[in-house]
Amino acid sequence: MRSRPQRAPRALGALLVWLLALGGCAGRPEGEPVTLVFKYARILGRADPLPGLLRAFEAAHPGVRVKGEALPWTSDDQHQLYVINLEGRSPGFDVMMLDCIWVPEFARAGWLLDLTAHLRPDELVPYFASAVTAGTYDGRVWALPWNMNVGLLYYRTDLLARHGLRPPETHAELVAGVRQIRAAERDPALEGYLWQGKQYEGLVVNVLEAFWANGTRLLGEDGTILPEPARAADALRFLRGLIEANVSPAWTTAADEELTRRAFGDGHAIFLRNWPYAMELFEAPGSAVRGKVAFTSLPGRARGAAGAGSTGGAHLAVSRRSRHPELAVALARHLTSQPAQRAIALGAALSPTRRDLYHDPELVRAHPGMPRLDGLMLMGRPRPVTPAYLLVSSTVQPEFSAALVGVKSPERAIADARARLGYFLEAIR
Amino acid sequence: MTRREAVNRRRGVLLVAPTVLALGTLTVYPGVWVLWLSLQHRIPIFGVSRFAGLDNYAFLAIDSRFASAAATTIIFTVTSVALEVVLGVAAALAIHAQRGGRRVALSLLLLAWAMPAVVTAKLFEWLYHPTAGLLNVALGGHALNWLGDPHLALPAVILADVWRTMPFVAVLCYARLLAIPAELYEAAQVDGAGRLATLVLITLPMLARILLVAILFRALDALRAFDLMFVLTGGGPAGTTETITVYAYRVLFQTLQLGFGSALGVVVFVLVMAVAWAYLRLLRTSAVTA
Repeated sequence: MRSRPQRAPRALGALLVWLLALGGCAGRPEGEPVTLVFKYARILGRADPLPGLLRAFEAAHPGVRVKGEALPWTSDDQHQLYVINLEGRSPGFDVMMLDCIWVPEFARAGWLLDLTAHLRPDELVPYFASAVTAGTYDGRVWALPWNMNVGLLYYRTDLLARHGLRPPETHAELVAGVRQIRAAERDPALEGYLWQGKQYEGLVVNVLEAFWANGTRLLGEDGTILPEPARAADALRFLRGLIEANVSPAWTTAADEELTRRAFGDGHAIFLRNWPYAMELFEAPGSAVRGKVAFTSLPGRARGAAGAGSTGGAHLAVSRRSRHPELAVALARHLTSQPAQRAIALGAALSPTRRDLYHDPELVRAHPGMPRLDGLMLMGRPRPVTPAYLLVSSTVQPEFSAALVGVKSPERAIADARARLGYFLEAIR
Repeated sequence: MTRREAVNRRRGVLLVAPTVLALGTLTVYPGVWVLWLSLQHRIPIFGVSRFAGLDNYAFLAIDSRFASAAATTIIFTVTSVALEVVLGVAAALAIHAQRGGRRVALSLLLLAWAMPAVVTAKLFEWLYHPTAGLLNVALGGHALNWLGDPHLALPAVILADVWRTMPFVAVLCYARLLAIPAELYEAAQVDGAGRLATLVLITLPMLARILLVAILFRALDALRAFDLMFVLTGGGPAGTTETITVYAYRVLFQTLQLGFGSALGVVVFVLVMAVAWAYLRLLRTSAVTA
């Protein structure tokens, strides 16, 4: 009995030595299999290409096993899961898929591995510049662009042709087109221009696009909040005006991507602002608008100055606490490589972040709109790249929504947004 | 104190110790921690961590978004609980008065209550769908912008909540109705009391106690309402359906302002405790007078 209390420390000591030895030999003793954990959201589409890509990585790296773990369904839940695990310092995953708006936040928090030194100088050249910008913070690269989105204007080719109209280049042309077509069609169920005005992230995206079309922005170059309040208020007034003039339906204030996509897909609207994924669904067999839809850039304020669509998408980053950083970077690189992105674009309705793929014969055969999409992606602009993005977004959402539903004047909404943002951003400077 | 009393007392302390310990570690410790956090500027991502005193509370006092969320929470609680009680009692009386099919009626009623809030929210999202929703189709040409109109969104959320939790009140009342002795009604009949008089003078007073309990439960739930509005409207439009808990979620979990978010949490806690305390007092006095 007396020797018992001594045995435990000895065992502990042995364990400690063993653990130290493990850590000392760069994480991979001979023959010991390594498991990398990859967190990602399930890819919807004809076939999930991910398992095949992960197996290919394993084949190229003997002794390495990659475990793909699915993220929760909604963006809010994914963010929460990451924050809790990364803040808890034992993430339990190596490579993670991030919504591009989280990259600066996670980089600032010190949760991501700085990839700058791991990359060849020209490695990011093939990517869209706005996607690279979204993964860059403080002059360093923190994440590789994986797939990409951009705001587009969808229109009904049949309706425009029947009334002798060309796709609108300016807001004024869009409004005039809606009026002309609806007056002639006399279909009470036919809406004009659908976009996303519900109080959520999508609203911020739509308002940002209106800001850009009006020559202003949410955060200035030097971090000033809403540097031109009058122009910003003007943009909000324009959006509110669309609803008041019934160019956009009253329910725009409750509309998200899917609500508007369905209404347009059922043939109940002339114009729609949405992401590239919608095209595949419009062209699906049995769709009411099959063969009657095309897309172009969002309207601008004046002819010759097409509007920029907001970009979005997913990036791949490596946890700073990964025990196998080299392998994790290799996996992120493998998944964002040209062959991998081609496989993903073929199997699922996700757009690549590499420009050359938009002119790849095999891909263009599967998605004839891709060459056109290339130019629009190129024009796209990222949302403000700041670690405080979620704070900014959740602060302005109710203000923008208040202006859209007419509870506040656009000027008041902008002034309130500035005051609140000023207070919160002051605290983290 | 006799020796026996002392032993009993010691044994009592010993028996209650595990509960006190469990409650202490599971509720008191985190509670105190949240209170401590609420007195700080704490935003881990930005490396902000400093004592703030009552700064967070001072900002809450002038924060228009908080004022709006507090008003929404109170309107939501009062309206939804009032409607649930009225409809719940009515449903209980209706089932009680039925001859057959009571069990079927009860099961159907419970179905709504047993559904997770998020499922209910999704269900109502389709009912309120602006163009294809059942409600708007039923209304004919007068399509209403249920979730996008600042005057309709909160009533729409309240309606969904009432549909979901009215059965809880109904089932409690129904159980109480079964326990009211038939002699009371017979005596009333002998005295020549009409249906209305029987309801007002016998049935409702007999339901009073159980209703107080039901209201307490429902009010505490409604004060912390989150899922329905989070899924249905995300707090919009113009923040008209944002309750304090939704606001706290945005501040705490989305923007990770732990200090300010904790201050919001403390306010919700104080609010809920105050209501619970007032109710318990009310229950006690009613027990004395009853």
